[in-house]
Amino acid sequence: MSEIVIDSLYKKHKPGLFKKPIEAVSGLSLKVPKGTVYGLVGPNGAGKSTTIRMLLNLIRPDKGEVRIGNKSVSAAANADFLQAVGYLPENPYLYDHLTLRELLRFAGRACGMTADQITARIEVLTRQTGIAYALKRRLHTFSKGMRQRAGLCFALLHDPELVILDEPMSGLDPLGRKMVCDLILDLKQQGKTVFFCSHILSDTERLCDKIAILDQGRLVREFETADLRAFRADERSLEDEFVAAVGEVH
Amino acid sequence: MLQRVWALALVTCKEGIRDRSMFGILLFALFVLGLNVAVAGFFMRDLGKVTVDMNLAALSFAGLLLVFFICINLMAKDIDKKTIQLVLSKPFSRGEYIFGKYFGLVLLVLSTLALLLIFSSATVAGVHAMYPTYFEGFSWSIFFLAVAFIALQLALLCAIVVFFSAITTSSFITLIFSMASYLVGVTLEEVLFYLKSQAAAGEVVASESLRSVLEVVAWLVPNFAAFDLKVEAAHGLALESVRLLTVAGYGFGYILLLLWLATLIFRRREFN
Repeated sequence: MSEIVIDSLYKKHKPGLFKKPIEAVSGLSLKVPKGTVYGLVGPNGAGKSTTIRMLLNLIRPDKGEVRIGNKSVSAAANADFLQAVGYLPENPYLYDHLTLRELLRFAGRACGMTADQITARIEVLTRQTGIAYALKRRLHTFSKGMRQRAGLCFALLHDPELVILDEPMSGLDPLGRKMVCDLILDLKQQGKTVFFCSHILSDTERLCDKIAILDQGRLVREFETADLRAFRADERSLEDEFVAAVGEVH
Repeated sequence: MLQRVWALALVTCKEGIRDRSMFGILLFALFVLGLNVAVAGFFMRDLGKVTVDMNLAALSFAGLLLVFFICINLMAKDIDKKTIQLVLSKPFSRGEYIFGKYFGLVLLVLSTLALLLIFSSATVAGVHAMYPTYFEGFSWSIFFLAVAFIALQLALLCAIVVFFSAITTSSFITLIFSMASYLVGVTLEEVLFYLKSQAAAGEVVASESLRSVLEVVAWLVPNFAAFDLKVEAAHGLALESVRLLTVAGYGFGYILLLLWLATLIFRRREFN
């Protein structure tokens, strides 16, 4: 069920009464094949986060459709499709007064896991993200990087088939960035689909099977395997392509 | 579904219990209860009635502070700080979210009230032991029933908070609307009674149209005064079971209606 299909998506934000609506996403169409790592890059305000929120049915498109595993997200009568989805928002705000263990238990219970399954997953994930030492600490004592790691554990606890990450490297030190990269590669090896947006082009280039450049809510370029091979061989540079693609639009 | 609702309720309750404002509210309530013991000897008459009334008022007021300052914050923080995006990325339906949050708030109110009730009962028992002659009409069962109805009143107020949180985008507006609903709900019965009695006596104190508007408002806003059994508890007056069942049914009916409306509105809401 993890293939994502975004078909002619439009979304306008209404900033307030008597204010002109802002076009956040405009006719976006793309497909994310099962088992691939798909990166969405673009300047600030390009519509990346809006697209991700429409994938999760947090906001609804004005026009167009989002399908996850051939099921229309907006038409879903219940939230069962989220059983196979893990999501990390940009700068996740977690429940301040809970400990990390309590937060992750909540995530597990919300996904219908048993107590034993939750305990086992907590152990594996917190070790993998290097945050096992903070399991008993309240979340308001966490630094930005620790919150990001906690958010990753929250997203991955129920071992989802589709992982959606909004700026997963945000606020992380070089070690943290490496950890996230390793985690994404590990998920890819397990056959999971990863859809993420990032501003860090070098990581995106290294991790992804497909990359799309989004600007002003439109898909301006999409890079496939051959392009990525050229990037990795230093024959071409994603940064140059990005500047050229975004520059063309502006 | 129940597992998800319970998980969210538990998390909400824990967040509330660990909020620092909670200590302030508890200390204030305990101060009032302690004050009751300290000043009990100053009352020349009706000492028993004053004690019961003061205890119930302290419990009720602490509950109101809890709902207005912690429960509203617990609802608003999720939306303001976008924690709701994290929660709704799990398989929660919007209805499950509303019910989970509501039960969490009620659990928080009930556990706080239960803790305060232990101290309150000790206070009443202490004053009762010191001045037994003033407690001739006192009945523990009516006292506990009055506390149960305070709890139901607060549960209804929590439903109002959830309802306004679902339709507004600001915690301040939720606070204003919830407080206004409570104040109108507590006083409107008396205002209408006054207007009717004045009209019956032939004194026109308000226009017919104002009276009609107030009667419509009385149907829309829950009648919080119906849950107030302080007078009966203070005087040890017997309570009819029909009245108690009607008020309880009214309270639960209103709660379900508000949560259903909140769910309908919340389903249409977007979280940017």
